[in-house]
Amino acid sequence: MSMPQDSLAGGAQGFFRLSVGLRWRLALGVGFACAAALASFGLLFLSGWLLAGAAVAGLGGQAVARAFNIVLPATGVRFFAMVRIIARYLERVVAHDGALRLGGHLRAWVYARLAPLAPAGLMGQQGGDLLGRFVSDTDKVAAYYTDVALPFLRALLCGVVFVGVFACFMLPAAALLAAGLLLGGVLVPLLVGPAMDRLVRREAERQSHIQAELAQTLQNMGEYLLLDAASSRAGQWQAQQAEMDRACWKLDVLESAARGLITLITFATALGVLVLAVSACRAGQLSIAEVPMLVLGVLAAFDVAAPLPLARQAAAQAKLATIRLDAACPPSTPRPVVQGADLPHAPYDLVVRDLSFAYPKTVSPVLQNANLIIRQGEHVGLVGPSGIGKSSLINLLFGFYAPDSGSISFGGVDVGTLRAEDMAAFVSVAAQDFHLFAGTLRDNLLLAAPHATEQELADVLETAQLTQFIQSLPQGLQTWVGNDGLRLSGGQARRVAVAQALLRGTPWLVLDEPTEGLDAALEQGLMAALVQRCEQTTIVCMTHRQAVLPFMHRVIRVEDACFRPGGGSDMKS
Amino acid sequence: MDATPARAHGADMTKGLARQVRGWLLGSVVVGGVSAVLLVCQFILLAHLVDDLAFHDRGLDTEFSVFGLILACLVGQVGARFVSDILGTQAGLRVAGHVRGKLLAHLFAAGPVVCAGVPAGEVVTTFTEGARALVPYFARYVPSAAMMVVLPLLILAVVAGVDGWSFLVLACTGPLVPVFMVFVGYGAQTIMDRRWRELSLLGGSFLDALRGLKTLRLFGRTQDSLDRIARLADAHGRTTLSVMKVAFLTSAALEFFSSLSIALVAVVFGTRLLAGTADFRSAFLVLLLAPEYFMPLRTFSASYHARQNAQAAMEHMGKLFALPAQAERYTLPALLPAGGVGTLVCSGLEVHTPDGAPVLQHVTCHFARNQLTVLTGASGAGKTTLLNTLLGFLQPVAGSLGAYDTSGQSMPLHGVRMACVPQYPLMVFGTVADNLRLGVPGADMQQLRQAATLADALGFIEALPEGFETHIGERGSRLSGGQVRRLALARALLQNPDVLVLDEPTAGLDAVSALHVANALRRCVAGRIVVVATHRQALADRADALLHVAGGTVESVPVQKETVA
Repeated sequence: MSMPQDSLAGGAQGFFRLSVGLRWRLALGVGFACAAALASFGLLFLSGWLLAGAAVAGLGGQAVARAFNIVLPATGVRFFAMVRIIARYLERVVAHDGALRLGGHLRAWVYARLAPLAPAGLMGQQGGDLLGRFVSDTDKVAAYYTDVALPFLRALLCGVVFVGVFACFMLPAAALLAAGLLLGGVLVPLLVGPAMDRLVRREAERQSHIQAELAQTLQNMGEYLLLDAASSRAGQWQAQQAEMDRACWKLDVLESAARGLITLITFATALGVLVLAVSACRAGQLSIAEVPMLVLGVLAAFDVAAPLPLARQAAAQAKLATIRLDAACPPSTPRPVVQGADLPHAPYDLVVRDLSFAYPKTVSPVLQNANLIIRQGEHVGLVGPSGIGKSSLINLLFGFYAPDSGSISFGGVDVGTLRAEDMAAFVSVAAQDFHLFAGTLRDNLLLAAPHATEQELADVLETAQLTQFIQSLPQGLQTWVGNDGLRLSGGQARRVAVAQALLRGTPWLVLDEPTEGLDAALEQGLMAALVQRCEQTTIVCMTHRQAVLPFMHRVIRVEDACFRPGGGSDMKS
Repeated sequence: MDATPARAHGADMTKGLARQVRGWLLGSVVVGGVSAVLLVCQFILLAHLVDDLAFHDRGLDTEFSVFGLILACLVGQVGARFVSDILGTQAGLRVAGHVRGKLLAHLFAAGPVVCAGVPAGEVVTTFTEGARALVPYFARYVPSAAMMVVLPLLILAVVAGVDGWSFLVLACTGPLVPVFMVFVGYGAQTIMDRRWRELSLLGGSFLDALRGLKTLRLFGRTQDSLDRIARLADAHGRTTLSVMKVAFLTSAALEFFSSLSIALVAVVFGTRLLAGTADFRSAFLVLLLAPEYFMPLRTFSASYHARQNAQAAMEHMGKLFALPAQAERYTLPALLPAGGVGTLVCSGLEVHTPDGAPVLQHVTCHFARNQLTVLTGASGAGKTTLLNTLLGFLQPVAGSLGAYDTSGQSMPLHGVRMACVPQYPLMVFGTVADNLRLGVPGADMQQLRQAATLADALGFIEALPEGFETHIGERGSRLSGGQVRRLALARALLQNPDVLVLDEPTAGLDAVSALHVANALRRCVAGRIVVVATHRQALADRADALLHVAGGTVESVPVQKETVA
């Protein structure tokens, strides 16, 4: 199931367009919810009448009692009880099914929007878990249906029916019920709504601020400890948290107060209806049996208004989540798909000219007027201290970031005109921050090259020096990896990434620290197998390990934000 | 099942936390009980009123006192419920605050090296959203669990006094509900346990996919992954629903018994009223009370997911609490006066990473006062690990690290004042002076200037528009990399440390800035031990002692030139 392209276009309304395909399912959920609420009302309403009617008949003596047909209302009571049981269950199943489907569509929608922005657009400014926020925001928006739309729609539809039923018996009572329901179901949510919006917003702002502060504290923990400022830092942070807790507490007070208010309105309405009904009864417009019935009816009717304050709060949260998601995934203007002549062509040479680049919001440049030429078929070692521009070359090559000035051309084409997905057809990367997905080892390998054969898999695993390790696993390639799976060591995971890159068989191979975490023997084995297997392939090996360099044709050093020819004796120092 | 020990740990933690806020929880339950009593009173009065008005031809004007009483009970009931809720929320927030405080203290005790092993995003989420998940658990679940006992018993007692048959109906159906809920709940739990991996995998699939976006783009698989995520989301929905369907049976059981007992009460009472063997007032009262009898059960089962969220959160917290406390030295205050340390000696030091991989073995070396000791070696060789061991952020597995005063007497390590300048120093939002005073809040201007001079920072600070009072922006964004390093150096010097440790102080700096830093370092050597890890030859040239880290061990390298500052 793939998302229709047009749903990627719109803004916030795009979310709601997602629900169009599900509208019957969602409507069915509301229908069952209403059926359950109506059955609940009917149960109490009819029970009240049954009791009072039987009591009146009982008081009227034997004859009257015998004339009273208890079978029909008793059947009705049982009927409503059954309907209530079944409708409640169906409501839950159908509504949650709808909500989950909606959530699924929403996830796909958010994902499709975020994909072109990765990785640059997904970096947390201060290391906070931006991705986690996307997940929770998506869930909150999806919960709009069950937590907000459903209770409000149920209250509206059932409210009309309740008032209509009351109107059949007594107009003033119906008017009073309508007034009470409007007060409780409309005025109270309206009254607390703006304050809830404000508190939810403030809470969210505080939260992201506090998260950023915490991330910074964690990052600089050593200094805080040595400066003896750790406890005062912790104190400050707790104080900020306490402030946020106060917003949370106010929100809760508001919700509780609104709920209390609705209870007050419920009983006030019930007492009012009682007074009206008794007067009407005395005036002969209403039978005695109908008096308790109407009172119970009011109490049952307000059952639909009680969840509204909480629903209003959920609405505030969903609104905020919608705004945040919308801001985080702006409608992207995808680069046009490059065809034939405009794609890189052989020889696949990389030419970097006067390249300057600094990551957004940083001061020191990673590269400054850097020049570099790598010809097809070369095996090049790229060395230099960690954190200095080596990995940035991958980001620039794939257009994840745009250079500040200068140009990069690959196979005669400016990489700025290519999409990362186009580039991937020519260059395979084993990045340092690669990700192993939750799934089996085989899944992860096939993710890189979906059509790889068993033999190809075995070959690349052999080259990556993984054969022995895989054989040692009871489930071999079917072993689960990723978050909940087997924890691979750094070196093992790194070699899986290398195997993935090899499997793709592209003309270029870029390996970022391929031998990190390997012992000397494995390192030698891996590099030897690699250069033997990929003689024709261009290999760029970013590393700080000296032992890797003899396998390369030449070495380039990244130093002072430039590429310098390296190798020779000064490398060994 | 993999999750079981963590779950058991979570249960222990819950009890401990509940004890922390016992007063608030107790208050919430007691006031909630008062609310329940008032609610029952209110219904008794209402039944009385309706009966009087409908069946005894009382005038409305004679019932004013009952109206008043009902309103009083109503206001009291609603007010008490409100107070009970608020006390519960307070309990929840206090628990969250307490847990956050403890977690933060534990992380500081674990130290920077250990904490670096856990993804920062995970820690941040556990702190904020995890702690937040505890609030509804203590605010709603625990009080509603107590209320589930109080209110039904109260109603049962009242009904027993009013009508035997109804008592029988409620007394029989009531206890069946928890029995069925447990029965179905266990069923749901079993299914959940059986599908635990599937559920957690699919539940986390969205986050997993987002995390892997860069990898997917590098592999040119973005388009296919769009289908994959839709498929996974679909599977997630289906699996979740299949588990939920069973869980919904719990509420269906509740619904069944509550609907059934209302219907039974109505029909049984109706027949008896018809026969004249019951009175309307009791019938009406029981009908009013019957839904309330099941209400706490419904509230309780609705807050059940609060329990599950809290349990998941506590599992995450358990993971953080399980981090070993490596930075033990800093739990003690610096006791001794400064200036006494002569040498730091490592003998036979063996250091592992927090997850047990050996980094350094048999390291024997020393660092002397009035000397600039430079550590060289390839990155990843263990320079930073050695520095972290000196600073006390990593405890050696074998061997020892000792401190000796100027007369050669052994002295306790926690009496040594350490300071460090990391590669990316901490810059807080505020002025230059704020940043300098982080370690010594009471430092006066004189001291600030002195430290800045020593760090070769005074010149640029005074050139700033407002000198020491200039705001440096978010994370020092208004300063250059070299200026940030010198500022951090000045801050470290302000503490007058015995041992000053610097990690790559000139990395990423241009030649001029690097020279400034190197010159400043030479000046700081007087009266202290200075240890620097670097790649730069320029800095190594100025060393008094050179140590080369390679192959997991440290070798002393003779210094070429004869310079002593």
